[in-house]
Amino acid sequence: MSNLIGEPIPLIDSVDKVTGKQIYGSDFKLPGMLFGKVLRSPVAHGRILHVDAGRARALPGVKAVIVGTEIELPNYSVAGEKMLDECLLAKDKVRYRGDEVALVAAVDEDTAEEAINLIKVEYEELPGIFDLEQAMQPDSPLVHDQFGSNIAREMTINHGNIEQALAQADVIVKGRYETPRVHHGYMEPHAVVSQWDAKDKVTFWIPTQSHVLARMTYAKALGVGQEQVRVLQLPLGGGFGGKLEYKLHPLCALLARETGRPVKMVNTRTEELMASLPRVPMIIEIMLAASRDGTLLGKKARILADNGAYMNYGPGILLSATTRSDNLYRIKNIFTEGYLIYTNKVPTGAFRGFGCPQSHFALETMLDKLAVELNMDPSELRLKNASQKGDVTPHNWYLGSCGLSDCIKNSIQVADWSSKRKKYAENKNAKLARGIGVACCLHVSGNRTFLPFFDGASAYVRINEEGRVTVLPGEVDIGQGSKTVFAIIVASELGIPLEWVDVPSLDTDINPHGLGTFGDRVTTLGGNAVKAAAVNAREQILEIAAVELKTAVENLKIENGIIYDCRSDQRISFSEAAQLASYKQAGATVIGKGSFIPPGVSMVHPETKIGNVSCAYPFVAQIAEVEVNRETGQVKLLNIVSAHDLGKAINPLMAEGQVLGAVAQGIGFALTEEMIEEKGIIKNQSFKHYNMPRSVDMPPITSILVESNDPNGPYGAKGLGEPALTAIAPAIANAIYHAVGVRIDTLPITPAKILNSLNEKEKII
Amino acid sequence: MQNIIKITVNGEHYEKEVLVHKSLLDFLRDDINLTGTKKGCDNGDCGSCTVLLNGKPVNSCMMLAVEADGCEVLTIEGISNGKELHPIQRAFVDSGAIQCGYCTPGMVIAAKALLDENFNPTEKEIREAIVGHLCRCTGYDQIVSAIKKAANSLNDK
Repeated sequence: MSNLIGEPIPLIDSVDKVTGKQIYGSDFKLPGMLFGKVLRSPVAHGRILHVDAGRARALPGVKAVIVGTEIELPNYSVAGEKMLDECLLAKDKVRYRGDEVALVAAVDEDTAEEAINLIKVEYEELPGIFDLEQAMQPDSPLVHDQFGSNIAREMTINHGNIEQALAQADVIVKGRYETPRVHHGYMEPHAVVSQWDAKDKVTFWIPTQSHVLARMTYAKALGVGQEQVRVLQLPLGGGFGGKLEYKLHPLCALLARETGRPVKMVNTRTEELMASLPRVPMIIEIMLAASRDGTLLGKKARILADNGAYMNYGPGILLSATTRSDNLYRIKNIFTEGYLIYTNKVPTGAFRGFGCPQSHFALETMLDKLAVELNMDPSELRLKNASQKGDVTPHNWYLGSCGLSDCIKNSIQVADWSSKRKKYAENKNAKLARGIGVACCLHVSGNRTFLPFFDGASAYVRINEEGRVTVLPGEVDIGQGSKTVFAIIVASELGIPLEWVDVPSLDTDINPHGLGTFGDRVTTLGGNAVKAAAVNAREQILEIAAVELKTAVENLKIENGIIYDCRSDQRISFSEAAQLASYKQAGATVIGKGSFIPPGVSMVHPETKIGNVSCAYPFVAQIAEVEVNRETGQVKLLNIVSAHDLGKAINPLMAEGQVLGAVAQGIGFALTEEMIEEKGIIKNQSFKHYNMPRSVDMPPITSILVESNDPNGPYGAKGLGEPALTAIAPAIANAIYHAVGVRIDTLPITPAKILNSLNEKEKII
Repeated sequence: MQNIIKITVNGEHYEKEVLVHKSLLDFLRDDINLTGTKKGCDNGDCGSCTVLLNGKPVNSCMMLAVEADGCEVLTIEGISNGKELHPIQRAFVDSGAIQCGYCTPGMVIAAKALLDENFNPTEKEIREAIVGHLCRCTGYDQIVSAIKKAANSLNDK
């Protein structure tokens, strides 16, 4: 076996990308293609009174106009969701500014856009529901009349005895936190090309995080069987959770069916900010109870989550926010009420962290507050209560590996925590005040309860007669480098050069029907499946080689593409053996097959929400150092240290890349990003006004990879990409408190908020 | 309404009729099929569409194709010398500076523009040179390292 595990390796598709040869969804073209555009509601809540599409239909170059009020379309929702609250085009009501009302397909984009502007829609504007507390009231106007309530989902978590914990506590701290609507900011907008064949089967060429979920959901949305849908995944220009099922895709199929031609649709950046699926904003009220020595006794919380106009993956996100952070520390008494609430705002969906950035902002800021009350070092407080390897938590999470304490210890050492805590605590009234703060988080590596069907992964490993290998996984590379990890695993297990392994984009007609990429599942679940498939393929090729070399399989080893008999000097090249295998089976190339079903996982109990949802849990500790300007409120980031227990770094070069990128997104979440909404209208329509971190905004970042070697992960590997974002905002917020003594409880922490708080503080003094 | 433009792209001469309101970006991607230059925002905010126009980096989404009449354009497809990667491209690959790759063409063009003017940029100068380029995947560090590495590599030649 040539061992690439743990070697720093650039992505295997880097050369395609750096030469401009890679074809992304938005680049894809078919001959005879038409261009589609969407007519979107200008109002946040309204009844459609009348639609006149006559002039649009008459415009030369227009090949189809489809109006929602004129056709029958089924109700549907995303995979596994039973409340079918959406429809491809609005039937009678629009529920958010951006809601899809009509479609046009034309010979070019300009004509399509002109036609869209020619469609006249008369709306009766209805009172909009924008405030979460108000939306929960029984007399509130309803977003979905048929459901009778704006509370889309509610859940209660109850472990131990919270009231007793509160009564027995020496110290109780309270807080109320708000996290904003933020966008994934993937550089490539949503795109789709779609075409129907003569037998009523539709093909989608889409940048999607899941070929299978797309197939499942778009079939439902179109009212056809899954067997009538083929998804050809195209390389993605970023995903971050935002490219699971997306309405633009089946909308395009409607136009393709109507016109009988391939149709392409691409979102503008304005449409991305108006009508894609941003992070679920949350309001979190939280209380922590502790004894004087710092033992956490209990946690009580109430979470209001903004669903927007349609469900999407809201319930899973609420479940994550109400349950996951409970497992970070050894807390026995927990009571949480969570509500997912419909509003007349853009529907929200999955975004890296999936509820954890929201819940951890609240928890980790509260812990900092508690540390102040107890006069205890915040890192000590965390170490004292940290979950440990072997723990079974109140949620029944089994922590087969847990590097949390190591992450805390390593990061405080590298960040020079103790001396800086002391040094920055002096000179607090300087114009430029420095501070250092810490926060922790955890995540899952795959999530059994996300979808009802199954959790796990499968792969095929095909060895063709030149000894070149094609890996066919069930998970998509969304730019994070999973195809490279898969290639590394296969090359290592087969003992061949990395260059011999290819991992093409996915096709639902060929690849296993794996669930796709989300939930930090790809390395752990997909990697295990790919490994199993490679082992299976190796067994098959070694059998052929053994016969050819007249030896036993046990005597054979493969190194650098040569199969050696250890007992003699006999050898055969991998390619030769592969060719032999193929010719002996009349051209059937060796195909290894492997599956991985995570052991010991379950769906959560429908009421208690208890359940060990993952077979491995990653942990993170992050430290942020800031300098706050008291006169301007501006925060300068001086340094970030991120310690990540990822089990095992299969590819440390790209693992570091994941951490750096996640930290950047976390910085945006903490300090500069917000989709500013007023009465359901998103005000920032471009990157000019939606401020994501740029090259000059980034501080030095030190990434520490802690390898706790999880027994269930391939080579010990757990998830990585999501938790590296989650703890940044509270780390920065805690550093700001350390610097200037004010806590900003709503993100993003803008200079204006800091100045206001400083002024308030001055007044009190 | 259409006009005829004469434009050299990656050393190749084109004489083409183009809609007067079409951006240079759309001309490159749609009319002459060079899809390596990307559309990220169509608003001059993200840098994905950056090409070299007469040697200077421009957001091709923010200019009309007709404005490029008589000009020389270099896109990502023209960076490598036939098959061999340009040292900037090689450095990007080796440094792990590429994840999804969507910002990469623009970044490479920006790096070329920088290194053509300043053969030994400081980290600060590198970060300023790519400030107009958004990347959501990498957090920029590995891109900055790549550009530094490319500078060293070019200086060794």
